[in-house]
Amino acid sequence: MTFLIQQTLIYAIPLMIVALAGVFAERSGIINLALEGIMIFGAFVGVLFVNILQGVPFFHDAFASKSWLTLQGLELLAMLAAAVLGAVFSLLLSFASVNLRADQTIGGTALNLMAPALVLFLIRIIANQNTLGMAEGDAASWFMIKKSTFGIDRKTDLGFLGETFVNKVYLATYVCILLFVVLSILLYKTKFGLRLRSCGENPQAADSLGINVYKMRYAGTTISGALAGMGGFVYALTTANCASTGDVAGFGFLALAVMIFGNWKPLNIAGSALLFGLFKCIAASYDSIDINGDGICMLAKAPISSHVYRMLPYLITLVVLAFTSKKSRAPKAEGIPYDKGQR
Amino acid sequence: MKKLFAMLLAVAMVFSLAACGGNPSGENSQPPVNGGNEESAEPSQAPSEAPSEALPAPGSNPADDIPDTMTSADSKYQVAFITDVGQLKDKSFNQGTFDGVKLYAAANGKSYKYYQPANGDAATDDDRYDAMKAAVEGGAEVVVCAGFMQEAALKKAAAEFPDVPFVFIDGYPIGLDNVAGISFQEEQSGYLAGYAVVKEGYEKLGFTGGGGGQNPACCRFGYGFVQGANDAAKELGKTVDMNYSWQYGANFQASPELQTMMNGWYSNGTEIVFACGGSMFNSVVAAAAANDGLVVGVDVDQSAQSDTVVTSAMKGLAASVQWAVAKVYDGTFSEIGGKGTSLGAKDDAVGLPTATWSLENYTIEEYEAQLADMASDKLVVDSMVAEEDFAKLAATEWSNVALNIIE
Repeated sequence: MTFLIQQTLIYAIPLMIVALAGVFAERSGIINLALEGIMIFGAFVGVLFVNILQGVPFFHDAFASKSWLTLQGLELLAMLAAAVLGAVFSLLLSFASVNLRADQTIGGTALNLMAPALVLFLIRIIANQNTLGMAEGDAASWFMIKKSTFGIDRKTDLGFLGETFVNKVYLATYVCILLFVVLSILLYKTKFGLRLRSCGENPQAADSLGINVYKMRYAGTTISGALAGMGGFVYALTTANCASTGDVAGFGFLALAVMIFGNWKPLNIAGSALLFGLFKCIAASYDSIDINGDGICMLAKAPISSHVYRMLPYLITLVVLAFTSKKSRAPKAEGIPYDKGQR
Repeated sequence: MKKLFAMLLAVAMVFSLAACGGNPSGENSQPPVNGGNEESAEPSQAPSEAPSEALPAPGSNPADDIPDTMTSADSKYQVAFITDVGQLKDKSFNQGTFDGVKLYAAANGKSYKYYQPANGDAATDDDRYDAMKAAVEGGAEVVVCAGFMQEAALKKAAAEFPDVPFVFIDGYPIGLDNVAGISFQEEQSGYLAGYAVVKEGYEKLGFTGGGGGQNPACCRFGYGFVQGANDAAKELGKTVDMNYSWQYGANFQASPELQTMMNGWYSNGTEIVFACGGSMFNSVVAAAAANDGLVVGVDVDQSAQSDTVVTSAMKGLAASVQWAVAKVYDGTFSEIGGKGTSLGAKDDAVGLPTATWSLENYTIEEYEAQLADMASDKLVVDSMVAEEDFAKLAATEWSNVALNIIE
């Protein structure tokens, strides 16, 4: 059970935070198809940041002396760097779709095409290979919070909650959950959130009430870029051993699907990301999932072909979509460039 | 506003046109300057490597000091290397083979160059053929091709250029006299690793291989690993568990799915996993580090890459490349051309890195005694071909290994 929850979170968290990134852009009226591209770019920036700072004596010594607070600080700094550069990268999309009133779908696609090429190009220049990883060590030994981090013996039992949420976790996971909650509140319970959402529904009306639609759309897309960039790094950190390859295994597109699946609402998005993550986890590790802790892996023993398990995440998505898509409702004005003169 | 923008665009276009026109002349003036540089002297200055050392002392790999790219004065490259799928610097198969090219070239003052077939992991036979052709047209006197997937392209290229010798690493004879197939007895290497970890005291093992069960080298590694574990367990009078899978490694790449599967194995008690294939290593190591698990590396000594690596099932890639390329230059290529040479313990081409392993209960003396037995045919490890992989593993009665095949 502990294993299942932890692995589900590892898949679900990047999906969740990037889907929320999509919400911020779309709620302000900009379709952000570039999530995948921004993730790729963010992952690269974060990994490069870690790679460089690993060589700095301060952090190098921190690893040697096991001062984990410093290492967690490095992780947070890398997330911040990925977020900032992700936001900068997304400005390209904002500029094209707000100032130039270009087609947002095409602008996003262009960024998606550009990001992997640009990242691979930079990686080849920097590392002369196709993957940029950590300068030394593994992501888990540098950044993962384990029992040994706090000096607790590996065999001590922390109870179910301790084992699941304190042992073998990344700080990034909790930062993302916290951000998710804070930003959801921002979107729904603040003046700024209301204004942002109004620009995605009826920008003309919003403008008539004195809201600067262009500014709001810039804000939405920039927050979106920051979150997607950070999500990209979190993905690289938790599922790719902190390596950047110009690829995030389609997680950006999955996040788009999760966003639509979650009907552009944060709570639904969290639910669908967890659902998808859970089945993704079952698909990959059905042979060693021990639900009730009796040492028997029921799923592997069941007379079901392994292919069925691997189909599950996609089957479930199809089934749920079939039942819920009727109620699905996109922000009304998304994708339409705002033109002051139009009515 | 619009007018201004249009004008800016027009100006930009004119400039870019001018830039396009300007470039070639600039380039024309460049080469003589570059050619004048005495870069051709570089390879002979590089430290020479004792070619007799079959498995180079790891940790201080001398090949790392030789640059991957060099510029030759006449822009001809004598020793060419065509990579397998995956990246050049995979710290495993490609890199190990290319190390051999670099070491030979550096020691003998030859120029060298690597060619990566286009389209990366999705490279077709045509892409590989194009790379070989480019190598020959680039002045290659010998072409080293890594990986059994090069076969179809090699048949075409070697027939077209019968005067150029090709060295086919992880390969076999393909009916052309200018192609030397060099393969390894990976089963021996896998056996040594499997035997060592069980003797060390591990009882729950795992094997995850690349190539989806279609890669002959990986299949031999895995088959040998099970045999070694079985024999060691028999001697110790116990039964060991082993998970065995080809899942999520078909293209040798790291993936979140593989990492999740490995997390599952480790958290279910698996102590040590044999990560058999290129960049997949990353996923296995990430899971191992998270769960305080251990890893057996492959092809080259991978202990420097992670603290989780206990030992590595090595094959002498760099040594065999140097050996084969040397045969081209001393005129004895006909001894191996058109034939398949299988290198094993006899040729000092398989083994474990005793200097860097972190085994404590299994001693170097025991290991060396076993290696000597292998070399003298006292200990014979059964080999296999790729097609019979699962069938043969499943059909064999393993007396002391509880084999759990995950399809």
